[in-house]
Amino acid sequence: MNEIASVSQHLTPAWAVAPFVGYLLLIAILPLFAPRLWEHNRNKLILAVVAGVPAIVYLAGLRGAGVDQLLRTGCDYVSFMVLLGALFAISGGICLRGALIGTPIVNTLFLGAGAVLASVVGTTGASALLIRPLLRANAHRVRTTHIVVFFIFIVANAGGLLTPLGDPPLFLGFLRGVPFTWTLRLAPAWALVNGVLLALFAVFDQVAVVRDRGKPRPSRPSDPALEVGPLRLEGVINLLWLGGIVGVVFVAGLLGPRLARFTYLLPLIQVAGMALCAGLSWKTTPRDVRAVNRFSWAPMVEVAAVFLGVFITMIPALSYLEQRGASLGITRPAQFFWASGALSSVLDNAPTYLTFASLALGVADGGSGALSAAGIGALSAHPIGERLLAAVSCGAVMMGAVTYIGNGPNFMVKAIAEQHRVRTPSFFGYIAWSGLILLPLFALVARLFF
Amino acid sequence: MIKEALVCLEGSPGSEAATRVAIGIAKDLQARLVGLAIVDEPDIRAGTPTGIGGSAFKHERDEALLADARLRAADALALFERRCREAGVTAKPLEVVGRPTASILTEMEARELTVIGRDANFRFETESDDAETREAILHRATRPVLLVPENAEGPLGKVVVVAYDGSKAAKRTIASFAASGLAASRSIHVATVDDSGERAWEMASVGVKLFVDAGVAAVPHNIVSALSNVEALFAFAREIKADLMVMGAFAHSRLAHLFHGSVTRGLVERTTIPIYLQH
Repeated sequence: MNEIASVSQHLTPAWAVAPFVGYLLLIAILPLFAPRLWEHNRNKLILAVVAGVPAIVYLAGLRGAGVDQLLRTGCDYVSFMVLLGALFAISGGICLRGALIGTPIVNTLFLGAGAVLASVVGTTGASALLIRPLLRANAHRVRTTHIVVFFIFIVANAGGLLTPLGDPPLFLGFLRGVPFTWTLRLAPAWALVNGVLLALFAVFDQVAVVRDRGKPRPSRPSDPALEVGPLRLEGVINLLWLGGIVGVVFVAGLLGPRLARFTYLLPLIQVAGMALCAGLSWKTTPRDVRAVNRFSWAPMVEVAAVFLGVFITMIPALSYLEQRGASLGITRPAQFFWASGALSSVLDNAPTYLTFASLALGVADGGSGALSAAGIGALSAHPIGERLLAAVSCGAVMMGAVTYIGNGPNFMVKAIAEQHRVRTPSFFGYIAWSGLILLPLFALVARLFF
Repeated sequence: MIKEALVCLEGSPGSEAATRVAIGIAKDLQARLVGLAIVDEPDIRAGTPTGIGGSAFKHERDEALLADARLRAADALALFERRCREAGVTAKPLEVVGRPTASILTEMEARELTVIGRDANFRFETESDDAETREAILHRATRPVLLVPENAEGPLGKVVVVAYDGSKAAKRTIASFAASGLAASRSIHVATVDDSGERAWEMASVGVKLFVDAGVAAVPHNIVSALSNVEALFAFAREIKADLMVMGAFAHSRLAHLFHGSVTRGLVERTTIPIYLQH
C-alpha cells in the first residue's frame, strides 16, 4: 500500500534534512521562549507551511516521483489526523463518575487498567479519561506528586505499546505497512516495563500513605456531583464506536495487500470509516458528558497544524536516512533503542519513530535500497529489520515518558493535575524522577530484548 | 515616625502573624496599614515546554490558576480588612498583578515599614516555597522590613536586641529604627559578637552612641562565644528574653556569603522572634 515512492532513487542532499531538524527544534523551544506567539494555532500553521516550503520545492523538483510522494504523505497525514481526532472524540465522550477512594491497591489497579486501556484507545484518550477520576479519588491525600508522575510513565506512555492505536508512532508504522498485530510481539517488553512500574508505584504509594498520617487534608477543588454513587461509566455507547475504529483499522490492515494497486482507495476507506465512528460518537453522546471532560477540539487543531509541518518536512529527511542509514554508525538493535528513545524524549515520538525506522531500512538492507522500496512495513518481515523495528518501537514509545515534551499527553496530565492543586515537578524535576526510575528499567529492557 | 506600613498578605501562617504584629504597631503609633496581595500572573503564564498539543491545556491551566490566585488574593484582603476594622486600625487593601519581588519593592518605597511573614509564599500557584522572593527583597529593599516568623504571637514586646557589626547596613538600620517610633518605651540592648571582648565592647558602644544621638537610650553588650555568630546572638536574645531583633541585612557581598556563610540568612531562617532589617 505505502511503498516508498521513487524519491529514494534520487540521492537526497544533506540540506534537505535541515527544515525537518529546524522545525522540530522550533516546536521544542518556541513554547518556552515565545509563549504568546506559540499560543495561537494560526501561528503554528503559518510556521508549518513556511517550514514545509523548502521540502515542497525540493520534491517538486523531482517531478513525478516527488509529487507522488507528497500525495501519499498527504494521505498518511489525513489518515493519521482522522484516527487521532476520532479516538480523541470518542474517549472525550466517556466519563468515569462515582465514589472512588484512592488507596495504594485501588490506585495501582487503576494504573494497571490504564496501561491496558492505553493500547486500546490510545495514550491520549486513556489519559484524558482516567486522570481526573484518579485525582478526585486522591484529593484527600497530601502527597500526590508520585501519582501524577507514574500516571505519565504508565498510562500516557508505556501502556500504549501493544497496538497501532496505542501511540501515534505505532499508527504511523501501521500506515506504512507494519501489520496491525505485529506490535503484539512487544508484549513481553510491555509487561516487563508496566509490571515493574506498577510494583514500584505500589511501594511509593504505600510509603506516601504512611507519611501522610496525621497531616491535615489539603484544600483541593471537589465536585460532589461527580463523586457520589457507585463507580460507573457514562457515554458507554462510545465503546461501540471505539470498537468500530478498531475494526476499521484492523480490516484495513487485512485488505491492504489486496487493494495495494488502488493507491488512494484504502486510505479513503479508513478515513471514511473512522470519521463515521467519530461522527456517531458526537451525535450519540450526551452533552454533559463532554462538558464534564471539558472537551475541546483546540488540542486537535494544534496537533493538526504542527503535524502538517512534520509530515511535509520529514519526507526528504527520511529519504536521506534510508539512503545513508548504514553509514551513520547506528547498526545494532540496542543502539536503535537508545537513540530513538533519546530523541523521542525531547522531540515528539511520532517523527522520531519514522526517522529511526527509515534509518533501520537503510541498515537492514545494507544500503542496497531493497527494503527502502518496500517501505517500513518490510522491516516487520525481515529477520534483521524486525529486531530493529522492535527496538525503535519500544524506544520511541517508552522513552516518550522521560520528559514532559516526549509525548503529547504528558503535559496534558501535568496541566490537569495543577488545576486540581496537585504539585507537579518542574521540567527538570520531572527528568530527575524519570532518570532515577525509568533509565535503569530501560537498561534492563535493552539487556533482555535487544 | 511610621505613618503607613505595608503588610504583605498571601494567607500563610507567617502572613497571619505579620498582620497581628502590624496591627499592634499601627495601634501604638496611630499608623495606617496597607494590605498588599499579589496575583503573580507573569509566573503563572510564563513559557514552559509543552510538547505538541499542549498549548490548549496550558491555556486552560493558566486560566484556572489565575482564577484561584485572584480568589485567594481577594480572601486575604477581605480577612485583613476585617481584622483591622475589629482592631480599630485604618486599613487599605491593595491588589497588584505582577511578579512578587518587583511588586513589593515598588510598593514599599512609599511606606516607612514593610511587614512580611517569614514563610510567605507569594508564588503559591507555581512554587512550593518562596525563599527566593524573601531573599531578593532583603537584598534589594531600600526601606526597612519587619520579618515575622509564623509562630510569633501577639504584638511586639518590650525588649529589643540590636545586632551591631559596624557595617553601613547596621548604621542605617539603627538610624531608621530610632526614627520609626518603634524604639520608644522599649529596652534597647546593642550587642556585638567578636573573639575579642574589648573590641566587641567598643563596637557595641558605637552602636549605643548612634541611638543616644537619635534620642533613644540603649545599653551595650559584648558577646564572646565559642558558638557561631548566629548561635551566639540567639543565645543572648534568649538570655535577655528579647521580643524583637534589629540588624543590618546582608551587609557583606554575596561572594563573602558564599565562603563565610550569611549571618542574616542564618538568623532569618531560624528566628522565633520578629526581626527588623534594613540593607
